[in-house]
Amino acid sequence: MSHRKNYKMRRCENGYIFCRSRKIEQTMVVQTERKFILSNPQKCLGCFICEFACSAVKEKSTEPMQSRIRVVNLEPTGSMAIACVLCEDPRCVRSCPQNALGQSDETGVIIVDEAKCNGCGWCIGACRFGAIGLDPKKKKVVVCDLCGGEPECVKYCPFEGALTFGTIDDVAHEYRKEAFKKLLKEIDGEK
Amino acid sequence: MFGYVGKILRINLTDGKVTEDPLDEKTLRKFIGGRGLLCKILFDELKPGIDPLGPENKLALTTGMLTGIPIPGSSRFILAAKSPLTGIWGECPVGGSFSVELKFVGYDVIIVEGKANNPVYLWIHEGKVEVKDASHLWGKLTREVQRAVIKEVKDDRAQVGCIGPGGENLVRFANVLFGFNHFAGRTGLGAVMGSKKLKAIAIRGTRRVKYADEEKLIDLALSELADKGERSRKDGCYYPDLLDVYGSHVDFDDWQDSGRLPTMNFRKCTFPGADKIGREALKAVTIRSNVCPYCTIPCNKVYEMHYPYELDPDYSNFEYENGAALGSLIMNDDLGVLLKANELCNKYAIDVISVGGSIAFAMECYEKKLITRKDTDGLDLSWGNPEAIIQLVEKIARREGIGNILAEGVKRASEKIGKGAEDYAMHIKGMEMPMHEGRGKKGHGLSFAVSNRGACHLQAESDDLFYKIPYPEIGIDKTVQKEPLYTGPEKVKLYKIVGDLFVLYDCLPICRWVVYPLGGRRLGTFASIINAATGWDTTVSELMTVGERTYNIERAFNVREGITRKDDLLPKRLMEDPLPEGPYKGEVLSKDVLDKMLDYWYEQRGWDKQTGIPTREKLEELGLDGAVSQLKEQGLL
Repeated sequence: MSHRKNYKMRRCENGYIFCRSRKIEQTMVVQTERKFILSNPQKCLGCFICEFACSAVKEKSTEPMQSRIRVVNLEPTGSMAIACVLCEDPRCVRSCPQNALGQSDETGVIIVDEAKCNGCGWCIGACRFGAIGLDPKKKKVVVCDLCGGEPECVKYCPFEGALTFGTIDDVAHEYRKEAFKKLLKEIDGEK
Repeated sequence: MFGYVGKILRINLTDGKVTEDPLDEKTLRKFIGGRGLLCKILFDELKPGIDPLGPENKLALTTGMLTGIPIPGSSRFILAAKSPLTGIWGECPVGGSFSVELKFVGYDVIIVEGKANNPVYLWIHEGKVEVKDASHLWGKLTREVQRAVIKEVKDDRAQVGCIGPGGENLVRFANVLFGFNHFAGRTGLGAVMGSKKLKAIAIRGTRRVKYADEEKLIDLALSELADKGERSRKDGCYYPDLLDVYGSHVDFDDWQDSGRLPTMNFRKCTFPGADKIGREALKAVTIRSNVCPYCTIPCNKVYEMHYPYELDPDYSNFEYENGAALGSLIMNDDLGVLLKANELCNKYAIDVISVGGSIAFAMECYEKKLITRKDTDGLDLSWGNPEAIIQLVEKIARREGIGNILAEGVKRASEKIGKGAEDYAMHIKGMEMPMHEGRGKKGHGLSFAVSNRGACHLQAESDDLFYKIPYPEIGIDKTVQKEPLYTGPEKVKLYKIVGDLFVLYDCLPICRWVVYPLGGRRLGTFASIINAATGWDTTVSELMTVGERTYNIERAFNVREGITRKDDLLPKRLMEDPLPEGPYKGEVLSKDVLDKMLDYWYEQRGWDKQTGIPTREKLEELGLDGAVSQLKEQGLL
């Protein structure tokens, strides 16, 4: 029961909550100092290029299920790409019955021990983002490893600002810039 | 077999029977896919002279080799049938997510035959085909149908193509909406679906296709994706940069400035109200862009406007053709009315170009007093009357009053009205003119006259582009690059090459925005991608032959329906009235000049000069023996 309290506390500490559900134990916390891949739904057009770039570079495959970043395209509402957000005390790691998953202390990426993973998929059910997937060929789970700090999906993304590799504050900064630009435009428009 | 499935799915709506046929690799290599493959199949299966709206007509869908391969512009598929508007070959290349699902649905070609008694829709997924009742969807608007179907099949990753009330009412230029914003626009294939009582087709593709050399394919695809136009900008003309910002409506200002904007039913060529509906005006109301899967060019825009009409962003598909057809062509300079009329066309799923052409025709007849207020149910059809435009679109889609006559297309409408109305009907082979001015770019004018699906702007591009950018590999070099107004044999040769090339683009299929001349990508890239995917050893010249083969079998299809040289014509106005203003003032593509161009054209094509029918030698050279025997049977060879 101790982690429940932890969550509550952290919520106040860094003030950033990603996904909130009715029960407090389902809350996830993103660490402020870690860099990860996040897409901006206002810029993302759902072209699926990040998805292909990932499976192509990582697995030499065109199969989207082998990709570590997946695109949700809800026309006409919008679209967004989702990859691992490196939660703290991740649910996927906690839920793994085989102890095959771990988290790197340094970068926060989820490490899959392929020898232990039996493809049961519990982690997939546990992740609230759908950011971890099962490779249909290897029958092991795959999750974003940030390509060692230079993510290929971000490199191939054709739309500026749609996919960012940075800390949560970098992303928020982009949003703030956008908001400011809009404000400026409105002021200009009024002149 | 690599890169394809090798199966044809056949659904007979009359008895609900579903069958599978094999598709051999030899045929596939001959036609690659898309337009060529469908024309071959429908040429073999459709009897000449059938009623396009009868149960004997067949509706076919197919993707091509490149569909599903993650390169820009590859997400396309082709829909085809005998056209109810023109009575000849009818096909539409369509983009969007539907294509990718279709590629992986487990069949290369889907053919819908017969006619259902009650409205139905198809749900094709995981190798299963379900014919479901659609009585409750009949009469609904396009996006409503799509939402309802997705709810019913319980799969929100399914893609739905559907007709609106336009197709149900058998408007001869009704179209089909696929996904959020992609229309099988021209030639009236929505009416074919309506006649079959087929309201929608829902598919979900989960069966991946195997590729011969996947690693090489991926490397090629990645290098294509990494190219954000750097290579092509060297050519000097890289259109996608503008498409990003304005969408295809960027053309509007170009044609206005160069005095080649179809205005007032082609009587004028510049539009005084162009600023109000030009690219900047549209940009001001743009809220979002859309893009097809794996494409880097967000050419599709979504608009927001609240006054004078509330616009529904669900129906905001809009292109240059829409802007000119519902704008300058009918002298409408009100952006709100333009977008509202466009929205209505999208709701009812009727072809905007043909709607614009029909309204322009009606307005000119009204001006010339061939029709009066009595015929129009009291509507004042003076040029640009906003109320009349909105009402007419509704009337056409519902086939009410004068709309019932216009819904037949301008050719039939003008015959019905008579009294010389034929002179105001701007059509070729029954299809309304697209928004390009053949008088100011003569090669493009020729391509309208000879196009296999009636007046169509997709069979070639404007002369100016080929003049600027060479492509010696396929023969577009100094020897054929002449200025836009030149009409000699070299120009015809150029347009023969371009004709084959553009037909090939629909066989591959690839979007015209990303390839030569507008987007810069060349055929060599596609040849190596096809080789990596299929294990073949195809070359650029083999691909060009595929284009020529397709062009010829389409012509054979049309010849069987009675098309000859006499039909390869432009509307009288383009051949007789010179352009009244602008830089190209006085230009006209006269009958004599066109006749001379046609002589060269048939010579280049290896067709009979007198009749315009492909010769036996040419068809045999291209391996179209089936076409030879068919045409012989009918005494046409």
